[in-house]
Amino acid sequence: MDLAMQARPMEAPIEAHNHNRWSPYVDNGGTTLAIAGADYVLVASDTRQSDGYLINSRYSPKAFVLSNNAVLGTSGCSADSKRLYEVLEQRAQLYQHRHDRQISTPALAQLLSNTMYSRRMLPYYVFPVLAGIDAKGAGAAYSYDAVGNMQRVTGVCFGSASALIQPFLDNQVRFKNQRDADPNRLLTREEAFKIAVDAFTSATERDIYTGDYLEIFIVDAAGAHKEMRELKHD
Amino acid sequence: MDPVSLELPHTLRGPQATAGYGPTTRTTQPIVTGTSVVAFKYKDGIMMAADCLASYGSLARFRNENRLMKVNETTVLGVSGDMGDFQHMKHKLEDVMTHEYDMDDGQALGTKSVYKCLSNIMYGRRTNINPLWNSFIVGGVDGGERVLGYVDLYGTTYMADSLATGFGKHLAVPILRRRVEGRADEITEEEAVAIMDDCMRVLLYRDCRAFNKLRRAKVTAQGVEISEPYSLATNWSYAESIVGYGV
Amino acid sequence: MTSIGTGYDLSVSTYSPDGRVFQVEYAQKAVDNSGTAIGLRVKDGVVLAVEKIKHSRLLVPQSNRRIMTAGKHIGVASAGWMSDTRHLVKRARDEAHNYHSVYKADIPAKIIAERMGMYVQAYTLYSSVRPFGVSTILACVDKDGPQLYMVEPSGQFVGYRGCAAGKGKQVAKTEIEKLKLEELTVREAVKEAARIIYAAHDEAKDKLFELELSWVCAESGMLHAHVPQDVLADAIQHAERSLDEDDDDEMEDEDL
Repeated sequence: MDLAMQARPMEAPIEAHNHNRWSPYVDNGGTTLAIAGADYVLVASDTRQSDGYLINSRYSPKAFVLSNNAVLGTSGCSADSKRLYEVLEQRAQLYQHRHDRQISTPALAQLLSNTMYSRRMLPYYVFPVLAGIDAKGAGAAYSYDAVGNMQRVTGVCFGSASALIQPFLDNQVRFKNQRDADPNRLLTREEAFKIAVDAFTSATERDIYTGDYLEIFIVDAAGAHKEMRELKHD
Repeated sequence: MDPVSLELPHTLRGPQATAGYGPTTRTTQPIVTGTSVVAFKYKDGIMMAADCLASYGSLARFRNENRLMKVNETTVLGVSGDMGDFQHMKHKLEDVMTHEYDMDDGQALGTKSVYKCLSNIMYGRRTNINPLWNSFIVGGVDGGERVLGYVDLYGTTYMADSLATGFGKHLAVPILRRRVEGRADEITEEEAVAIMDDCMRVLLYRDCRAFNKLRRAKVTAQGVEISEPYSLATNWSYAESIVGYGV
Repeated sequence: MTSIGTGYDLSVSTYSPDGRVFQVEYAQKAVDNSGTAIGLRVKDGVVLAVEKIKHSRLLVPQSNRRIMTAGKHIGVASAGWMSDTRHLVKRARDEAHNYHSVYKADIPAKIIAERMGMYVQAYTLYSSVRPFGVSTILACVDKDGPQLYMVEPSGQFVGYRGCAAGKGKQVAKTEIEKLKLEELTVREAVKEAARIIYAAHDEAKDKLFELELSWVCAESGMLHAHVPQDVLADAIQHAERSLDEDDDDEMEDEDL
């Protein structure tokens, strides 16, 4: 049969599908950083959630403690961040139920990568960091892109103020461009904590999407604990 | 005659006839819409307000619509955006509440659970790129705790002591941040009504899709109360003294 | 009933030479072994009552309910296999939900009874399935007023003013027939229902039982609900008192 004779109407050209399409993404701003030490790891996030020039909420946390005491820090689309946390937490708990032990940080890190990649065709618009203690008791921080590319790092920052903070971490945590510093030295908790607070107070001055409160999670062999600091509310 | 070459009568062509073929279609704009919802916490619970208008573009089409829904004994839902999508959501929530009733286990679905349920539906729809074109505010008292949450067509959620949707985000939130934030525990019902009236009045003056017939809901430990429609006292004589753009 | 089916009782897809489907009759037997369930349709509502036989004292009171709700306004009381009952109640809920999804209105009693009847009947047609061992009593108040239906294992569904199923159905039916149902209020009917369940209860066969009582009426907001605790307690007191009175009468008879 002649194809042109079919009653089925011609489909619209492909281009018509893509144009004028509603975007399912929003950027809710906010910043997250992680610093890994010898026997601890730190995650710091501000709690502001914005939508353009509007502040939705001054306290909408985007760093989450998982049941194995690892911390997931996020930035990007808040809806995706929250769902990513729920999915990861669910899968961490499933691991616990199946294996009768907590999932290790490196395993969870790979699981997070797989979870992100499973949404390759409609990515989670999230730039996560995952921080926990590895098998040797050392602090482990992992950074990801939105489709699950991962890398273990010692100092990383994502989010709206990442351009302000990442160079600072490169210099102060990874000792880049310092003449006499030992590039392999790891920061003490006190140093890391001060750097995190300084990074955020400075970033808050220049980035309108970062502010309100700072939540700092410190994970070590004993578990995760949280410290709060106030940032500017402007 | 070859049956496949038959032309369809013109009444059977167009969207109805081709719905099964061609590109899949999605909502790309809301049609009949409601404007802002304003809500905040006060001493005894939460208060919420929305007007009774469902607009068709700039036409004030349906002037007696209720945009506040009592979900259960402890929860109200305020809606802005597409009213058709809202009716769909309302239907879904009624089904959820019927299911809860049928369980007959002496447990009521709390405000937080209603909020989570609603958020999951909204996030699911946006992830299928077929959003419900709404912003919702869920308010209630859950186990003695006041709960106020926002969710929209992107599945974005957040909770705060004061919330608004639509134009209310620009016009009511600054008022609420000044008058409610940090002192939600002190505000009496009387003051709450005054704050709410002020917010709704500002919206009425400046939002062309707002309407001077509105309902106010409150949720306290005693339950949900949604008022009959009422109007605000306004004074348009100021308008004469406004000089500027277009005058 | 001929209990030896001579090979004609192995499947619902085979009639016996005298035109019976034995499997359906056996299903009815399963119902007859169950605790009594009754329904009363009165002038301002419907009342359901069940004699829930308990096999252990360790069961939590009011657990394992035999009266359930389908779609807020419909009460389902049943006699027969509880596992089959739960399946049918799920079906009733799905039907109520489906009707509401399409019409945004509560499903009328007649319609849900018909749909349940059709569903149950389908299990009397195929050799691969077993009929439901349940008689289901549906109670509802719709726009035509109070409604009461019973669906049998055969798929037959009939509307009633009063109906009974289970062990004590003969006693219960005799008692129901004495009532002036169209003049009773639900408050009165609740007491009568309790009395009938207690009268139908056979102390010699089953020691432990619990009375379940529910209604659909103005007092329950036209929704189906178990009766409040105080109403239940009153009804039980009434039932026990009338049992004692009957015993006293019998004693007097013996004296004569």
